[in-house]
Amino acid sequence: MSARDTILARVRDAALARPEAATNREAQVAERMTVGPKGIIPHQGQATGPQKLRQFLEKLEANDTTVTRVSSEDEIAHAVARELRKRNLPAAIRMGEDPMFHAQDWGSLDVSRGPGRLEEPVTLSRAQFAIAETGTLVLTSGPDNPVTLTFLGETHFVVLRTEDLRSGFEDMWGDFRKRGLDPRTVNMVSGPSRSADIGQVLQLGAHGPVALHLFMVG
Amino acid sequence: MSGHVPTSSAFKSNSQEALVNRNLQAALRGSRGNFIAKRAAARANVPEFDDIRDQARDMKNHVLANLDLYLEAYEKKVTEAGGHVHWAETAEDARRIVLDICRKSNAKTVNKGKTMISEECGINDHLAENGIKPVETDLGEYIIQLRGEIPSHIIAPAVHVTVPEIEEAFRKHHAHLPPDRDLSELASLQAEARSELRAKYFEAEVGITGANMLIAETGQSVIVTNEGNGDLSQSLPKVHIVMASLEKIVPTLEDSATLLRLLARSATGQEMSVYTTFSSGPKRSEDPDGPEEYHVVLLDNGRSNMIGTEFEEMLRCIRCGACMNHCPVYQSVGGHAYGWVYPGPMGAVLTPSLIGVEEGGQLPNASTFCGRCEAVCPMRIPLPKMMRSWREREFEKNLTPSATRYGLGVWAWAAQRPWAYRLAARIANRSLGITGKSKFSKLPLAGGWTKFRDFPAPQGGTFMDQWKAGKR
Amino acid sequence: MSAPRVALLVTCLVDMFRPSVGFATVKLLEDAGCTVEVPQRQTCCGQPAWNSGDREHAKALAAQVIEEFEGFDYVVAPSGSCAATVVKDYTEMFKGDEAMVTRAKALAAKTHEITSFLTDVLGINDVKQALTTSVTYHDSCSGLRSLGVSEQPRKLLGSVEGLELREMVENDVCCGFGGTFCVKFPDVSNSMVSDKTRNIADTGADMVLAGDLGCLMNMAGKASREGRNFKARHVVEILAGDTKTPAIGEDK
Repeated sequence: MSARDTILARVRDAALARPEAATNREAQVAERMTVGPKGIIPHQGQATGPQKLRQFLEKLEANDTTVTRVSSEDEIAHAVARELRKRNLPAAIRMGEDPMFHAQDWGSLDVSRGPGRLEEPVTLSRAQFAIAETGTLVLTSGPDNPVTLTFLGETHFVVLRTEDLRSGFEDMWGDFRKRGLDPRTVNMVSGPSRSADIGQVLQLGAHGPVALHLFMVG
Repeated sequence: MSGHVPTSSAFKSNSQEALVNRNLQAALRGSRGNFIAKRAAARANVPEFDDIRDQARDMKNHVLANLDLYLEAYEKKVTEAGGHVHWAETAEDARRIVLDICRKSNAKTVNKGKTMISEECGINDHLAENGIKPVETDLGEYIIQLRGEIPSHIIAPAVHVTVPEIEEAFRKHHAHLPPDRDLSELASLQAEARSELRAKYFEAEVGITGANMLIAETGQSVIVTNEGNGDLSQSLPKVHIVMASLEKIVPTLEDSATLLRLLARSATGQEMSVYTTFSSGPKRSEDPDGPEEYHVVLLDNGRSNMIGTEFEEMLRCIRCGACMNHCPVYQSVGGHAYGWVYPGPMGAVLTPSLIGVEEGGQLPNASTFCGRCEAVCPMRIPLPKMMRSWREREFEKNLTPSATRYGLGVWAWAAQRPWAYRLAARIANRSLGITGKSKFSKLPLAGGWTKFRDFPAPQGGTFMDQWKAGKR
Repeated sequence: MSAPRVALLVTCLVDMFRPSVGFATVKLLEDAGCTVEVPQRQTCCGQPAWNSGDREHAKALAAQVIEEFEGFDYVVAPSGSCAATVVKDYTEMFKGDEAMVTRAKALAAKTHEITSFLTDVLGINDVKQALTTSVTYHDSCSGLRSLGVSEQPRKLLGSVEGLELREMVENDVCCGFGGTFCVKFPDVSNSMVSDKTRNIADTGADMVLAGDLGCLMNMAGKASREGRNFKARHVVEILAGDTKTPAIGEDK
């Protein structure tokens, strides 16, 4: 017998030996995976309207994400250039093929496209969603937004459409499925990287970005 | 049995050494209370926290009762996404599978995200013995790898290492850097580790990570980290190996949210760890980055035998470390005294399950049953109850020390006979009382007590005798 | 309403080492209007056997306690630990024996730790005592986490005129006693009790109080060895106004 069959047989025997084992386990499990019980959504994952936005901004601040708000997509390139100058960073940025970025007039900014490289002072990604419950950005990998940009940039810039902000995990996953997304990786990001492994003192900038800055559109 | 030679049966002497190890005690004192205060604050901010714990417990119980079906569903999804699932019955099987994959990839260097399953299987030593260099990329794991140690904590592997010891390790192992460089700041140590490891991410042919969860609905593996090392380890090499144990399965994405709401708050007191990454399969044809191969090594190593036993509930564990953070025994002796991969209360239950009660049996005895672990466990695992179950198994197997067994027998005989019990209490009471002392600094048969404390003398006369004599 | 008949579960340690705790408990119960009886065939609740994995002996002793105590209105112990064994463990011990589980459950429902019985069951908030002193209170583990004893002793202590309660840091952390743990792992236990006596001393309080004699003997024994100058007493001694009896390990 293969290891697979041995293990599965052992687990199955234990399952069937339970006095409460259902006769239609297969159907129950299949249903559980499609429907699932509606679980507890904490209050902080149910904020709506202005409170949702307010809470999101508070949570971002708490996890050390900084924010610039712009009123329309046309302003992204400008805001990015301004933020680079403000941070004394080189006028160069690495990004993917996201149509939102292609539509920008980057002016004199040195824009390169593709996955992350060994040295990446600044990278730019677009978040598919964000979650107000915890101040979390949700990115999806692919040519539009290569996953390595999220981790190799010393400073990581992220653009989010404010309309893509969701209250909690549940409504985010619901809409995620509705959009038919099936990326190789879904990256939830809640602040710049950090570690407390040295002397149990928290320091930002472990292996990933030292700084995370969000541009909220609309 | 697996890579690390366990010293769990030497817990007593291990702990004695730990208690006189000044660096260790300094590190333990330095971290004491940090995790506790942060968890308490995070928990207080979520009024629904205890209800979420109940929901998580029920969800995981449901998974364990149907684990065969969920594993099959998960495997199907991984395969559909172009990944490979490898089933490993033992640690040895897992070592062989991982080495085979690395060899097929002509790997010279393997990057590691933090994975306790890899520690359990002794992957690093096995790769090194076979000419492949494992590089731990989690900062804490990197530090202890340089020092030739195993983790002393499941989420803060280097919690036992002081800052000067880290500097010493860096100076010794980063010998190519200028010896006169300034490492006096914590930030300079972290920056040096960052730049040393950055290049290594691009060199490795294989990246190994663990998994905090496996999602049956989607076939995704989930890792939760703060540093970003796990993501770099799994995104840059051409092969990604996920090492996970069977019980990591959750049914759906929504179920993962339930656990995420508990995990970071219980572990570090964060609402969310910085990075939570859901991965499925190798890179898609259009993807500019990501691994070309995606393998999952599903490890059993004794777990399937726990299902249906009094130790099944241990399989709900999500490895947050709250139990050890709150354990006064762990706080006193640190993780290495436990002698194997998993320390603290969860280790005291899991270790005998995985390496045998003969080797790990001291651990469930090294508890005062204070109950703090169970009180904070996000998955409501009755840890003291299970430690007690191990004591019962040991008693049944005659592994309880003979003096203890004999003493218990004599005491229980008397306690079932009130006259004999009264007599014994009277004799003991008088013989201690007769000296007129208020306390003893030495007592026969009580060396364990009087080595460190005085023994308060009885007041004189038992309560039962005095009550019977009419005293009120 | 007629006076409730309360059976005193004396506990082994109180019986042998500190009968005054038993008498203080009786006084508190009688002052509260209870009729107190002391079942004569009681010995031990069985916890040492249970926690050592010796289920058969634990069950034998539990059966003895059930037999001896089930006829009373209430069972009260000056120990959170022994009370918790009756309340939480007996049903577990007899798992599979429905008749015994039923009796164990019935007994569990009427068994209480003394401060919890006074406040939660009898609704007493004032013990009408006066004592000018400062105390710190150690939360013994079983009472705290198995029975939820935390506010009750503090509420009663708060009613003692002139008494100042100074909380120590980590007041809910185990003192390292743990029954046989302290002799099986003396070095670890010593580390834990040393932390405890330091935390007690740091409050500057005159004495440490707790609800379990095992913890108290451990803390008092360590303090004595270290030459600390705080005293150790069972909380009922203060609540019953018994300060004439020498403190634990104190010269007569």
